[in-house]
Amino acid sequence: MDLLCVGVSHKTAPLDVREKLALGPDQIAEALQRVSGAAEAMVLSTCNRVEFYAVASSPQNVRDSLRSLVASLGGVGSLDHLYEHDGDSALVHLFRVAASLDSMVLGEAQILGQVKDALELAQQRGSAGPELIRACAAAFASAKRVRSETEIGRAAVSMASAAVELATKVFGGLEGRAALLVGAGEMAELAAKHLQKARACPILVSNRTRARAEELATVIAGQVRDFEDLDGSLNVADLVVCSTASPVYIFTKERVAPLLKVRRFRPLFMVDLAVPRNIAPDLGHLDGVYAYDVDDIQKIIADNSNARAIEAAKAESIIAEEIARFVRVRSVRDSVPVLAQLRARAEQIARAEAERTLLGLGDTISEKQRRSVQAMALAIINKLLHEPTARLREQGGDPGPSRLADAAAELFGLQPGGGQAAPKDTGTPPDVSAVAQRGRQR
Amino acid sequence: MSHRLLSLACHGYAIAAILYLGYLIRQWRLFAIGGRLLVGGCLVLHAVALGGELAGQGGMPVGLAQGLSAVAFLLLAIFFVLDLRFRIPVMGAFITPAAVAVLLPALLISGREPIPSTFRRPLLPVHITIALAGVAAFAVAAGVAVMYLLMERQMKGKRFGLLFSRLPSLTFLDQLNKQLVLWGFVALSVTLITGAFFSSSSAGLFWRWEPKEIATVVAWIVFAVLLNARFFAGWRGRRVAVLTMAGFCVLLVSFFSSYDPSRQLGVFR
Repeated sequence: MDLLCVGVSHKTAPLDVREKLALGPDQIAEALQRVSGAAEAMVLSTCNRVEFYAVASSPQNVRDSLRSLVASLGGVGSLDHLYEHDGDSALVHLFRVAASLDSMVLGEAQILGQVKDALELAQQRGSAGPELIRACAAAFASAKRVRSETEIGRAAVSMASAAVELATKVFGGLEGRAALLVGAGEMAELAAKHLQKARACPILVSNRTRARAEELATVIAGQVRDFEDLDGSLNVADLVVCSTASPVYIFTKERVAPLLKVRRFRPLFMVDLAVPRNIAPDLGHLDGVYAYDVDDIQKIIADNSNARAIEAAKAESIIAEEIARFVRVRSVRDSVPVLAQLRARAEQIARAEAERTLLGLGDTISEKQRRSVQAMALAIINKLLHEPTARLREQGGDPGPSRLADAAAELFGLQPGGGQAAPKDTGTPPDVSAVAQRGRQR
Repeated sequence: MSHRLLSLACHGYAIAAILYLGYLIRQWRLFAIGGRLLVGGCLVLHAVALGGELAGQGGMPVGLAQGLSAVAFLLLAIFFVLDLRFRIPVMGAFITPAAVAVLLPALLISGREPIPSTFRRPLLPVHITIALAGVAAFAVAAGVAVMYLLMERQMKGKRFGLLFSRLPSLTFLDQLNKQLVLWGFVALSVTLITGAFFSSSSAGLFWRWEPKEIATVVAWIVFAVLLNARFFAGWRGRRVAVLTMAGFCVLLVSFFSSYDPSRQLGVFR
């Protein structure tokens, strides 16, 4: 049985292609039914990728079926953006996706939950079987290892999250710190969500158009403050996030300096996400005032992205280790049915031959002697099979180019894989970096 | 025996200092754990060594060597407790090298002198121990102030480098400074009162215009001003950090002027 993956992602397809292919839970269920020839199937649909995973004994047929499914969903043009992985390459891809090494924002945490949801949906629909479940479980475990052993997801890489991260360097935790949003646009809303997550409270909203401030305050459970009373709001606030379209500075040194004494020199963190700027650049020179603009925040994001890229290298080696382990375990598992068949066949022969011998002897031997003959026959096959059993088990766990299990199946006329088609993998861990490179090139 | 134990502890502290500096650079948790264990273990050795020396002197550290050794011990003990409480191993990169620098001269000064009979008073060990604890508390406060100023420099200069990502938040450092200065100030006040009492009972005078007295009072005034400004005018952050360092420098003058540099051991004047 081979794992197969066909799909599009932010790396290969523009948004208009991805949005055509994006599937809701009901559409996924329908799509799962349309995948023909696969023993198991799963669909992963997020805003950055749509991928079809299948387990099949003849991947070519399933690949064709998936291609026609993609063409029917997104049009023939979408096939140009399609990537395909099969066998170990598909496995590596699944592990990398789950560990967020293939994500648009490297190391983002959402993707792991999305893959879990995809598997759960496939299980509910009865399309996920043991192969997919095992592969996904191993991918989840390695993703968790990547999260706990590297710092790939730690550094902030969005404007709002980087601003909140910077604020924690002044205040430690933001719990109970009053935040003032000046401006009530999309950026303010995004910042508010991050501030809420960091448990900043209260969140004050001040906007030239009061109605918009009220709208945002309702969404984020904040309080509206008069735009005309910005000084009063500033006295209360610990953090200020500016994102208005004002063509002139709203906060200048002359305006803020007299307020510092009233604030009893409490630190004031100000971040300006607006262009043109809302905060005068010299405001940061005031004692206890920490003011940052878009460029400063971008600098942090760039540093953090670099840090994530460095961590990604560590993550890749964790993935390689985990895949090697998975392949090893799978090889052992694959060799077990051959062993069981070999032993069952040998025992059957031994018992039959012992029975025939005992029939020939008739009643001339006692019950004790009868049992001894049967035991001797089984002892012979045990002795004979001891070495091959040990070798098969040993080689099952050892990644190498040859497969003794296949050879044993061939030699003794057994069915490899316990009645299933023979697995095609060689037991050799795949080259993760090569697959990752291929993924990037596509 | 005591000297050998002290030397062993000093070596341990030096290795801990390297580990903490390694932690500052690489942030490997193993370095922090190693440093913490080493400092903890060496504090025990140090306590045994110091205890052995002081036992024969009525519990009183005499001379510059023992004074430095006691300050190093208290400095590291305060850091150790703070690290256990707040998990701030990065502070070890600042405190442990300073403690090694304090302890090294204590190891190099050898010999022992008898304590003058005039010094054998029950109040004196209390006076000296509290004074040394105060010096240690202010030394840690000064270390925290240095960390604050470095962090603020990174924040204001928008240089988000190594120290920016490693040091604790400005508010945390400021609060820690507040606590340390407060405790140090209490110790310093008690030192001044017990010192004046001891002086009047031995020399018949509360105040003798000695450099150590002047320096101690100046340091007390600096810290009193600092605490007043903090509690009543809301001062915090940079100004307080700078004042802490200034006050500590004056206190250092007071500490060293308590010892006689012309004598090898440097007993109390």
